[in-house]
Amino acid sequence: MISSKDTVKDALLKAKSKKVYIEGNFVKLLSDTTDDDVRLYLDECKRRDQTNRKKRLAVTKQIQKQNKELEEAAVVNKALLTDLENKMEELETSKKEAEGLRDEALNDLEVMQKKTQFELISIIVKLALGVIAGVGILTTVLYLYILSSGLDSKIIETTWSNLFGILLTNSFSIVGTIMGVKYATEKD
Amino acid sequence: MIDTLMLIDDENLFHLVFEDACSMLDIALSIEALDSSDEADRKFKAWFPDDPEHERPQCVFVDLNIIGSSYDGIEMIRKINEDYGNGCVIGIISSSSDQTEIEKAKKVGAQFWIIKSDDIEPRLEEFKEDYDGYVDKTNPFKVYR
Repeated sequence: MISSKDTVKDALLKAKSKKVYIEGNFVKLLSDTTDDDVRLYLDECKRRDQTNRKKRLAVTKQIQKQNKELEEAAVVNKALLTDLENKMEELETSKKEAEGLRDEALNDLEVMQKKTQFELISIIVKLALGVIAGVGILTTVLYLYILSSGLDSKIIETTWSNLFGILLTNSFSIVGTIMGVKYATEKD
Repeated sequence: MIDTLMLIDDENLFHLVFEDACSMLDIALSIEALDSSDEADRKFKAWFPDDPEHERPQCVFVDLNIIGSSYDGIEMIRKINEDYGNGCVIGIISSSSDQTEIEKAKKVGAQFWIIKSDDIEPRLEEFKEDYDGYVDKTNPFKVYR
């Protein structure tokens, strides 16, 4: 083992005998020697140190390059993720807009259907009331004509009475049905 | 060969690259690598005013953008040159080659600008040849591309 009492030369030669090679910039401080054994040993130390440093430098550069690539990839990934999030938000907004438009269209369709139904009912009612009024007027006119002309009015009396009863009943029935339909439609 | 050299750079891997390259090229005997300009500032503040016993480095390499530090490389050079009495060869080492930044560095007293790349050794070798000119201030500002 090397002792503190050893000279630098002894210490270096002991290291050489154990095949221990010093490295780092310390070798550069010891490179100026006139002793052949020590000089050869230090030259070997320097050569090994240079080789090791070259290897380490190559590895470090490789790692540095990979780190840069990873950092660049991370930046690209982050940008892609942000883009994806933005697209998702846009998609969500579009979906909501589409749903709103669909609801609006359904509502419009329903209103239109109700309106059409109501118009149809209105036409039927007008037609039915027209027929009822027409038949009523015609029968009454016929009845008045028979009364004024002194003809036998028994049959027309019975017919007029029956017809008017039926017409009034039907009129109220139609009006009642229409009111019911209108009420139900408005409630929906 | 430079006895003491200081590197201020936030990238720890570059510390290793720089130390190995400098050792292989016999540029410096002792390298102190710091990862923040604040730390460098504290050291220079402690060494100022100029004290014969201080351990101020003979040469300082500063990165342009030192992430996590209060000052960028140009401000660091300005502080060393103007606030802490200069006394060392100083310049920028950066992957940037932005002409505006180079002019700014020159203005605050940087003596050189070394562009970092995968192959830093040829630039450091060229710097080594010019070093004496920086010490006696006879070399003009130079960009090592």
